[in-house]
Amino acid sequence: MTASVTLTGLNHWYGTFQVLKDIELQIEAGEYVTLLGPSGCGKTTLLSVLGGFVQPTEGRVLIGDTDATHVPAVKRPTTTVFQDYALFPHMSLRDNVGFGLRMAGMGRKDRHARAEAMLDLVGLRDAASKRPHALSGGQRQRVALARALAVEPDVLLLDEPLGALDLKLRRFMQDELKTIQKQVGTTFVHVTHDQEEAMAIADRIVVMNAGRIEDQGPPDRVYREPASQFTADFMGENNHIPGNRISTGIETPFGVLPGDPAITAGAAICVRPEDIRADTRGSFQIGNAQLRDVAFFGTYCRAHLVPEQAPDIVLTAYLDAGRAWAAGETVALSAEVEDFRIFDAEQK
Amino acid sequence: MMRFLPWAYLLVAFVFIYLPVGVLVLFSFQSGGLPVPPFNGPSLRWYETILSDPDLMGALRNSLIVALGSSAVAVTLGFLAAYGLARHILPGSALMRGLLIAPLTVSYLIVGLGLLIVLTRTGLGLSLWTAAIGHVVINLPLAFAIIYASMGAQQQNAERAARDLGASEMKVIVLITVPMLLPSIAAAFFLSVTLSWDEFIISFLLTRFDVTLPVEIWSLLRSGLSPQLNAIGSFVFLISVAVVLLLELVVFRRTRP
Amino acid sequence: MSRIQSRFQGWGLVAPALLWTTAFFVVPFVVMAAMSFASLEGRTLVWGFSFENYARLLEKAYLWRAIIVSLEITLTVTAVSVLLAYPLAWIIAFRVPQRWQRLALLLAILPFWTSYVVRSYAWLLVLAREGVVNQTMLALGLISDPITLANTRFATITGFVHFFVMLLTLTIYANLIQLPPNYRRAAMDLGANAFQTFRHVILPLTLPGIVTGAFLTFVLCIGDYVTPQILGGNTELTVPQVIMVQLGRRADFPLASALAIVLMGIVALAYLTSSRWLRLDRI
Repeated sequence: MTASVTLTGLNHWYGTFQVLKDIELQIEAGEYVTLLGPSGCGKTTLLSVLGGFVQPTEGRVLIGDTDATHVPAVKRPTTTVFQDYALFPHMSLRDNVGFGLRMAGMGRKDRHARAEAMLDLVGLRDAASKRPHALSGGQRQRVALARALAVEPDVLLLDEPLGALDLKLRRFMQDELKTIQKQVGTTFVHVTHDQEEAMAIADRIVVMNAGRIEDQGPPDRVYREPASQFTADFMGENNHIPGNRISTGIETPFGVLPGDPAITAGAAICVRPEDIRADTRGSFQIGNAQLRDVAFFGTYCRAHLVPEQAPDIVLTAYLDAGRAWAAGETVALSAEVEDFRIFDAEQK
Repeated sequence: MMRFLPWAYLLVAFVFIYLPVGVLVLFSFQSGGLPVPPFNGPSLRWYETILSDPDLMGALRNSLIVALGSSAVAVTLGFLAAYGLARHILPGSALMRGLLIAPLTVSYLIVGLGLLIVLTRTGLGLSLWTAAIGHVVINLPLAFAIIYASMGAQQQNAERAARDLGASEMKVIVLITVPMLLPSIAAAFFLSVTLSWDEFIISFLLTRFDVTLPVEIWSLLRSGLSPQLNAIGSFVFLISVAVVLLLELVVFRRTRP
Repeated sequence: MSRIQSRFQGWGLVAPALLWTTAFFVVPFVVMAAMSFASLEGRTLVWGFSFENYARLLEKAYLWRAIIVSLEITLTVTAVSVLLAYPLAWIIAFRVPQRWQRLALLLAILPFWTSYVVRSYAWLLVLAREGVVNQTMLALGLISDPITLANTRFATITGFVHFFVMLLTLTIYANLIQLPPNYRRAAMDLGANAFQTFRHVILPLTLPGIVTGAFLTFVLCIGDYVTPQILGGNTELTVPQVIMVQLGRRADFPLASALAIVLMGIVALAYLTSSRWLRLDRI
C-alpha cells in the first residue's frame, strides 16, 4: 500500500509564532523523502500535520486523491515511528506490533501471525514474547517500525527515528530502513537533522529553515548545486568569500569569477573544502596561502589556510592525506570555476 | 454533547469539593446563633468570640509549638539517619531503613494507643510533651524517606570534593550537604508541620490539660453546632491556604527549572 | 578516613533516629501486642497469654459487627473514591489546557487543607436536617419533608469520599502526566479510539498508581476515628470507635489492643492483596 502526498498553501502558527510558512510539497507514491533542517525549523510540525496530530491553520493535505486535512490521526492512512518509539511497555513485542490490527478488529490468530511476520521482516521474530524493556535501542527502533508497518499504511512517517542510536548503529539502520522501504514500497517521510543520514537514505531531500522549504531535490543535486546559501551551509562544510557584481562577472579578492549570475550588488560565494586543490591546475587561481594548522581525518587532511591576497579570510580545505603537511608552509591553491556557488549577499 | 461532558463533570466535582468549605466559611459570618440557612449576616461577631477565647488561643499556641518543635526534631533525626545510611556502608542497613519507615504503615490510632499504654503503665503521665513525642514518631519516617530519596550521586561528588579539599565531616554536612538538600529538607519540614498541626487522635490520646487546637475544637463540637466552630475552622483554613500558597510561590517555584 | 572510623560515624548518625523509633514505636507496639493477650480481672490487669480477647471479638456481636461495618465502609469509600477521582484527574490532565492545569489541580485539592476535624463538622452542617442540601431540595420541591442525611452511614461515606477524592485526584493525575504523550498518540495513530486508548494503554499503565492510591485510601480510612464519630450515627460503630469506647468508659486496654492488632491484620491482608497486583504490572 502506498500513496502520494500533496501539501498546498500550508501555514501554521503556535500562538503568534509562525512555524510553517507557505509550504508547497509534492511527494510521489513509494518515494523516500527526508525533511532535513536544524531544530526549530518546523520539520517535526510538518510531520505532525501529515500524521494528523496537528491541524494546520491554513492549507490542505492530500493523501492520494483524498483531502485528509480534517481527518484525525485515528482515521488517516498514515502511521508514525515516534522519536521515543512509544512502545507500550506492558505489552509483548507481538502485542505491540499487533496493536493496530487488534484495533481494526482482526482476530487473535491472524493478528499474531501477521505480527510475527512483521517482526520477521525486522529480524526480531525470536523475541516476539519479550517486553520492550528487554531490548536494546536499535531493536526497539525496529519494533516501532514493524508496529507502524503492520497496519499497511499508505504513508509512513518517521520522526528522527535514529536520533537515539549511536553513530555506528545509526549508519547500519539507515541501510536497513532503505532496504525495508524498497521491500514494502510504502511512501516514507523521514525527519532528521543529520545531513549525512539524509543523503544516505533519501530519494529526495527537503531542506527546511525557519518554517520554509529552502530547497528540495535528489541528494547529489542538493549538495552540489544548493538553491540557497542556507542549504549550502547546512549540507556539509563550506568556505565563504565576499564578492561584488561587475560587468564581467563577480569580483573577488582572488580575481574575477567569470559568468553572469542574477545578482545586482554584493555576492556571497561558497566553495567546498574538497573542491580546493593544493596545486595550480584548477581554472581559478586562489594564489599562495599559509598553512595555519592541519588535522588528519583518515581519507583527507583538514587544513586551515590564510591566503596571502586576503589575510582576513581563513579557508578550509581537505588536502591529500598521502603526504605530510606542516603548519607554516606555503601552499598554492586553486579550484574549478564551476565549483563556486554564488548567492545574493542580501538574502540569507 | 461529548464535548461538554468533561466540563460538566469538572463543574460537579468542584461543587462537591467546595460545598463543605463554602458552607463553613459562609456561616462563619452568620450573625445568628445557628450555622444553617437562612444566612443572616455578614457579621464578624463569631470571629471576635474566638479571638477573645483564652482556651482557643491557648490551644492555637500549643498546636504551633508542638508542630514546629516536633517537626524540627523529626527532620533533624531524619536527616542524620538518611545521611548516615546513604553515605556509610553499614551492616543491616536495609533492616534499619525498614525499621525507620515502619511507623508509616500503622494507623495513627495504633501509634497513639501503644504510647498511651506505655505512658500510663510507667506512670509518666500525659502532657503536650507526650503528644509532641507521638508526632515525632509519625513524622520521622516521612522526613527520613523524603531526604533519603533526594540524596543522589551529585551531592556525593560535591561532598567528596569538599573532603578532598580538607573539610572535616562536620563542615561537609553544614557547608555542602545541607545547602544542597535544602529543598527536600524544607519540603519534609513543612509537610511535617502541616501533618502535626492537623493531627487529632494522637494529641487527643496523649494530652491532658494543655491541649492542641484540633482537640479543643473537638471538645467544642460536643456542645453542638455553632458559628463559633465555623469561625475557628475558617480561620485555620485561611492560615493553611496562605502557607500553602506561600510555599508554592516561594519554595517550590524556585526549585523548578 | 579509615573504614572502622567511617562505620563508627555512620552508626552515630543513624542511632538517634533508631533509638527514638525503638523507644516510642517498637517498644509501645510490643507492649500493646502483649497487652492483647492479657486479661482484666475486675479493674486489675493480669499479664499472661490468653486468647480471651480475641475470642470475645468472635462472640460479642457488637465487636465483630464493628469489623464488618469498618470493612464495608472502607471498601465502599475506596471504590467510590477511585471511580470519582479517575475521571477528574483525567480531565485535568488531558482536557484542561496546559497553562491552567497547575491551577486546576491546586484548586481541586485546596480544601485538603481544612482541618481534619473541621472538615467532618462542615459536612455535618451541609447534611443536617436544616442544612443546605435539605433546604435546597425543599425549595426545589424535590422533597416535601427534610430527610435524614447526617448521622448515617451515608454521611460517613460522603465525608470520607470527599477527602479521598482529593487525595486520589492528586496521585492519579501525577501518574497520568508522567506517561509519555506519545503513548496516546501512537495508540490513536494505530486506529484506537478514545475508549480503546484508555482501556488498552492508559489504564494498564496507570494501574500500579491506582492500586497504590487505593491502598493508601484503605489504610487511612479503616483507621480513622474522627469521620465516623462525627458523621455516623450511634446505630453502628467502626473498629476505631469501639477501640476508643474501650479506652474511655471501660478502660479495657487488653480488648482495645486486640482490636488494634486485628486492624493491623486487615491492613496487612490488604497489602498482600494489592502487592500482588503491583508486582503483576511492574514487569
